Amino acid sequence: MAKWGMVIDLDKCTGCQACTTACGMENNTLPGENWQDVLYYTEGEYPSAQMKWLPRPCMQCENPSCVHVCPTRATYKDMDAGGIVFVDWNKCIGCKYCMIACPYGVRFYTDESPLLEPNLTKVFPGRDGQQWSPPYQNPNVDWRRGIGIQPKGVVSKCTFCYHKVSKAPEGVADLDEDNPELVEYVPACVRTCPPKARYFGDLDNPGSNVNKLVADRKGVRLLDHTGNRPQVYYLGSGASIPAFRPAPKA
Amino acid sequence: MSTRAESVLPEHSPGSLPIGILLAGLVLVAIGLVGVSNLLTQGHSAFNTGSSGVVWGLPVSAYVFFVLSSTGLTFVASVAMVFGIKAFYPIAKRCVWLALATLIAGFISLGLEIGHPLRMIWAIPLNLQVRSPMFWMGAFYFLYMFFLIWKFSYLQRNDWDSPASRNVGIASFVTVIIAHATLGLVFGMMAMRPFWYGSFVPVYFLATAALSGLAFAVLFTYLSHGTDTSRMEPTLRELMERFIPKIFALVLGVVLVFHLSRTITGLWSNNPEISLVMEYQVGTWLFHLELWLGMVLPFILLLLPGMRVQPMIQVLSAVLVLMAVFIGRYEYVVGGQIIPLWKGTWYPDFIAYTPSFTEWGLVALGGGIGLLIYAFGSWKFNLREQPRHL
Repeated sequence: MAKWGMVIDLDKCTGCQACTTACGMENNTLPGENWQDVLYYTEGEYPSAQMKWLPRPCMQCENPSCVHVCPTRATYKDMDAGGIVFVDWNKCIGCKYCMIACPYGVRFYTDESPLLEPNLTKVFPGRDGQQWSPPYQNPNVDWRRGIGIQPKGVVSKCTFCYHKVSKAPEGVADLDEDNPELVEYVPACVRTCPPKARYFGDLDNPGSNVNKLVADRKGVRLLDHTGNRPQVYYLGSGASIPAFRPAPKA
Repeated sequence: MSTRAESVLPEHSPGSLPIGILLAGLVLVAIGLVGVSNLLTQGHSAFNTGSSGVVWGLPVSAYVFFVLSSTGLTFVASVAMVFGIKAFYPIAKRCVWLALATLIAGFISLGLEIGHPLRMIWAIPLNLQVRSPMFWMGAFYFLYMFFLIWKFSYLQRNDWDSPASRNVGIASFVTVIIAHATLGLVFGMMAMRPFWYGSFVPVYFLATAALSGLAFAVLFTYLSHGTDTSRMEPTLRELMERFIPKIFALVLGVVLVFHLSRTITGLWSNNPEISLVMEYQVGTWLFHLELWLGMVLPFILLLLPGMRVQPMIQVLSAVLVLMAVFIGRYEYVVGGQIIPLWKGTWYPDFIAYTPSFTEWGLVALGGGIGLLIYAFGSWKFNLREQPRHL
């Protein structure tokens, strides 16, 4: 079985948020509750001030702290599904301990006040246990893997678009959106990236392009000191998260 | 078996309901029901917590406060029933019942905070995630509740020190030591939240649990005797005038050392996720209310021999200490979350969090039901009872 990994080239990423939009459309997430986001940082001061940005999906960690803390095994790492970390919405009790334990802030409990108005759970009230039912929704639903529209009282997260990736031919090394035979299996954020800053492939396959990129371009994993060992690697300059500094008081 | 019950006001004769506590409980439950009604109609959008902010808010802080107070009450009860120091028998039965009441108060506060409380009942035991500190916390606090009820049934039958009764008391003491430690690890194991992280947490919880347990024991013992030691039996009176104030001062002193060392270490630390949070908290009025009014003032009052024997001083100290411990739980739980985790310039400052009315409502409901349980015990069971051979 593959071990799916993502490589993000920050020297090519323009921070356009097309990935964020594509993810929201594909997975019908509520506005603001972005399973995939691009985060902007400012660092330093004039004349050496920097602006940097980091696309942020779930890291699908090799050693996921969210899985260790979940008291019901609702969140689990599925080695038979490429090592993707899922949330079983039938088992999740909404204790939010995984959100506490995830160093990357990529888990979402969307029962609370909407992050953006209007409140779409009111505009399109949910049916069949869903938090909302938009006019169009992705027909792929698998609550055991947290795929579909999030029901109430549970936590959701990026699934690496498992509903697409899982249909890829067995043994494929990379899912490249430029390959017409594979394009339908590529995660939405990777497929849509205009400057092709994202790559998706099998980290267990020595011949995969993602492995080659990590080796040749000195790929790094963010917040590596936490020991979570992400399956998402970053290439290029600026692959680090500045320490938190509060805004200066006015 | 005596069926004598108690009163909260001096003019009330034994045998009446503790009207004051009953009314306070009913008022809190009424406030809580408004909160629950908000929860049922609006769901968790009635909370001020959220995916991008503070995830665990006031109800979780209140849960920690209540269950650790229960832990401390068991410590106080165990002084006589496990360690054999007979001077503590007069408050032991009250402490066991109060421990049960505060434990249930905590469970209510937490149970209504999570997304699927009913699913929790089967999903946790059936999936046995032994790596999760929360699993162990739940398992041991549940076991502890079972032992508390069992122990109280022995006391109600006036069986204070048969081997079986003693063993159940020891079991509840050991279980709650483990339970509180696992609660400490729920926070202390989170290396990605430096403000919480450390093996120190269970020890810190141990000391603060003992303090709030003592404060609850002092407060409710006095309330049940109209804050008048002349209405107490001689053994109880000696305990409340001689031993309790000194132990109260000692435990408060230990907690003050812990509190100050934690604050100073935090302020000194280079890690912004610790030092900035500590600086932020030290700059709030809540911190100073907790330290000066809730800890230093009662500590001074309890150090003065002429003051500490006075019932009103002890009651005042207990109330102030409970306020301080409650603030401490809130600052600890929220403090670990106010620095945004990898959120970028969307969150340029500390995450602002003020509990909503609904969140306060859940705490009021837990506290109110706790008070009603206590009032029921005070009415139906003789919580003043102690071994006849004393």
